Amino acid sequence: MCGMPFATRTEAAGRRGRVTMAGRALRRCGSRARAAGLTVAVALLLPGSALAQSYRGWTSTSVQVVELRPLGLDSVPRTDVVMDAAGRFLYEGNEVSCVLASVCTGYLPLDQDRTLAATQDLSLTFWGFGVEGLSVTALVRARARAGADVVWPRSDDEFDALFAYAQLQRGPWRVRAGRLDIRSGLGFAAFDGASAAYSLRSLHGEVYGGRSLARGLREPQNEALRGLDGFLLDMSVLLVGASATARPWSTQLTARYQREILSDRSSLVSERASVDFSRSFPRFRLTGSIDYDFMFEQPGKGHITVSAPLADARWLAEVSARRYVPYFDLSTIWGFFEPVSYSEVTARVGWAPQTELGAWVSGGWRTYGDTETTVILRPMRDTGWRADAGARWRAAAEWSVDGRYQLEWGPGGFLSSADAAVRFDPTERVTVSLNAMTFQQIEEYRLGQGRAFGGGVTGGYELGDRATIALGASLIRHRDGGNVFTSPWNQGRAWSSIRFDLGRDPGLAARGVGR
Amino acid sequence: MTRGLVVMLGAVTSVALGALAASLGGMQETPFPHEAHQGLFPLCTGCHEGVPLGDVADYYPEPASCNGCHDGVREATVAWQGPAEQVGNVSFEHRAHADELATAGDPAQDCSACHIPTGGERLAVADEVQLGTCWSCHAHEATDHQVDAECTTCHVSLAETRFDLARIEGLPTPADHESATFLSSDHGRLVQESAGRCATCHTQERCVTCHVDAERDEIATFPAAPPGMELPASGAHYDVPASHVERDWLATHGVGATRDTCATCHTSDDCVSCHVPPIPNAVRALPARADVVAPGVHVAARAPESHERMFFPQAHPTLAAAGDASCATCHEESYCVGCHDAPMQGGYHAADFLSRHTASAFGRDAECSTCHNTQAFCRECHVEVGLVPAGGGRLGPGYHDDGPLWLIRHGQGARQNLESCASCHRQVDCVQCHGVLGAFKVSPHSAGFDAERAWARSPRTCLACHVGNPLNGN
Repeated sequence: MCGMPFATRTEAAGRRGRVTMAGRALRRCGSRARAAGLTVAVALLLPGSALAQSYRGWTSTSVQVVELRPLGLDSVPRTDVVMDAAGRFLYEGNEVSCVLASVCTGYLPLDQDRTLAATQDLSLTFWGFGVEGLSVTALVRARARAGADVVWPRSDDEFDALFAYAQLQRGPWRVRAGRLDIRSGLGFAAFDGASAAYSLRSLHGEVYGGRSLARGLREPQNEALRGLDGFLLDMSVLLVGASATARPWSTQLTARYQREILSDRSSLVSERASVDFSRSFPRFRLTGSIDYDFMFEQPGKGHITVSAPLADARWLAEVSARRYVPYFDLSTIWGFFEPVSYSEVTARVGWAPQTELGAWVSGGWRTYGDTETTVILRPMRDTGWRADAGARWRAAAEWSVDGRYQLEWGPGGFLSSADAAVRFDPTERVTVSLNAMTFQQIEEYRLGQGRAFGGGVTGGYELGDRATIALGASLIRHRDGGNVFTSPWNQGRAWSSIRFDLGRDPGLAARGVGR
Repeated sequence: MTRGLVVMLGAVTSVALGALAASLGGMQETPFPHEAHQGLFPLCTGCHEGVPLGDVADYYPEPASCNGCHDGVREATVAWQGPAEQVGNVSFEHRAHADELATAGDPAQDCSACHIPTGGERLAVADEVQLGTCWSCHAHEATDHQVDAECTTCHVSLAETRFDLARIEGLPTPADHESATFLSSDHGRLVQESAGRCATCHTQERCVTCHVDAERDEIATFPAAPPGMELPASGAHYDVPASHVERDWLATHGVGATRDTCATCHTSDDCVSCHVPPIPNAVRALPARADVVAPGVHVAARAPESHERMFFPQAHPTLAAAGDASCATCHEESYCVGCHDAPMQGGYHAADFLSRHTASAFGRDAECSTCHNTQAFCRECHVEVGLVPAGGGRLGPGYHDDGPLWLIRHGQGARQNLESCASCHRQVDCVQCHGVLGAFKVSPHSAGFDAERAWARSPRTCLACHVGNPLNGN
């Protein structure tokens, strides 16, 4: 299948005689690259387990069953369609387009579908090889799926080495080689390569480089989108970067530079720099970040936030100014479409007079930059705002409740959502939580109706000091003018996980529990 | 001034005499009546011939020699058996002292200098040594015998004595030991200045009652109690240093962390209650709890002050990016994955977030693309649930039904939320109209787009829409 650009399945759905086409059965490729990554990890781990004096890690097994109600492009007879007061054509409460005289089309809910996704994580660190400062670290993940046609994201990606590297730390030096994952002000960057870091008192410097992996996928960039898009890189991408961290005058400051190019050096893929800082003053804390895109010679995302505890820290006030601009590297054409930024101001106030009680409220307003596009019929919104409020109360040692309301209103999207939960801890090892939620939302430039209601239960149990089990289930029902059973958000979920801590953990007793 | 010095010296001498007398108290069973024998012994060495020679066996005459006179005929018999076995801690040795005097060019001292009170008759031997003579040289700068005199001049270490428990418990407590800062700081300095002084009353066992690090030089070289010596029971006491309660202590404690500074109280077990592998060198240098005698201070993991504030989840990306190394102190990389790449819901996003992620994604509050690959992760799921056919984003009416003529109006929304577009649409969907070979050849670039720069730096990207150098009109 990997040789085919797309794998489209036309679904002849007989539901009510309509012709339906759902875009399923699309699969990305690149599993061979991931398998290779896993092989590297295992190759590192096997000698490690044999020779190392100590190891530590955890294993986690999780399974979830997801019920979804896919949408499909459907056709319905014109005679079954009604027109509402706003002039929209509706079929069972869902808007359809009636261009032709006899048939209307629209995205309509299909039959309920259910899928099961299982994940097995194994995280291990070995050390004590007889070489001072040498250790091996890896986190590998295996996935499996079962059930209907719906594929939970990435559940068909059987193996991943999220990171797997050998590390040598000698005095102020630290060298790593293998699959590395760097989280920074420029986002997450994964690559197969090496890094070298040097720390001297409060100074820390690092250089790194290797073959770049697609963000979030841990696959070479030229393989990650195979099967998903027509324009693909035909060669790998090389990544180099450097960072410097200092702590002058109680300030944490990190500057980073990162560049990606095609392996034949014919084209730049990205070239950015970022500065992140945090400084605590006697009465407030200042944090901020900014990144700069050398390709477009313009600043990218950034924010500056002032956070001040008030009244013996019973109150916390925070004001933040933020700029956001969608970022695309040049492995695709999207960056040259020049997405515009928005600027946002957010204020938050938190109140926590005691550890058992707390509440917060926040609000933000944003305005988008000039898109330089022609206005047709009427301009779209170029401002948005959001609000968020919540509270928590630990009524007794065993009982706590919390609630939250969230409002998001911007161009193309709207959300009004409320949550409430009651948590019961009958013993130190057992946790049971009941939650309820309701929301109403409008998706991207798509009208929505009705409101979804849901609830669920979660539980946790610590099996001794080294194992934890968690269970949960939830159910959501969409109320839409009586068409309850055809509504897209009707769905159920259930999940379970069990985690074991492995190996030497001499701090376990001091911590009291096996976390 | 002179009077004051005299008074002070007198006081010092009195205390010293008392102490030395106490330490010598067990030596003699019955004091020998020297004065009664004044006419018989012209020289001290007649009886104590071993003293100038340093021959301890001949320090005292054989008791039988008394019988020469005290035979019950000429003189009544006596029961003098010589001094009892000495159990003390005085290190004075006559021969060595005489040699030192000679080496220093000082005049030799005869027996009377120390054993006969000033102005006393010959053989008016006192029960106690005349310590004033000692102090006349050795303690002229001391103000307190137990505080600033050089103990080792006259005393051996406790480990060299055969003191029993009562004797050890009866040792006086020097005045400076009562200081509030004695345990926390003073005693460390004192042991470095003069470990011999400490060893006069203490053995190594007292050090490791509290000190975790028994291999520390000052402790390892400290005399240990001989087998069988019974020592007073003592408990560990750990003061919390002032630095440890400073607000940013948790964040800064690693700067000066070494075995020397930390292992007084802490074992590596304490460190790894927070520190995660790979273990820092400074931690690995500390002794393990299983290998030490002292209980040490047990540390429990706790979050830094910054983590306990409200809104920390919103603040932590920048805090982590600004000081990445400090996160790695307590968190393994897999910890981040537990939220940022959680295999199921309930990680970074709240439960049931998926059902209502649309508006949040559109507002980019959480900056989705920091973690997710928009074109793959988002689109993969949107295709699965039928929002977009796998063969390509639908450009006709249908999904975007918020008003008519979406296709020709979409530009503003696309520039505002291009990530959302890419979460469903493929590049070829856009190129259908925006490419130079597309239906409408609508330029997606703004008026200020720097085409020359784009072509110079990333020509391959240009060629996705253009058939040649766009600067040449292609």
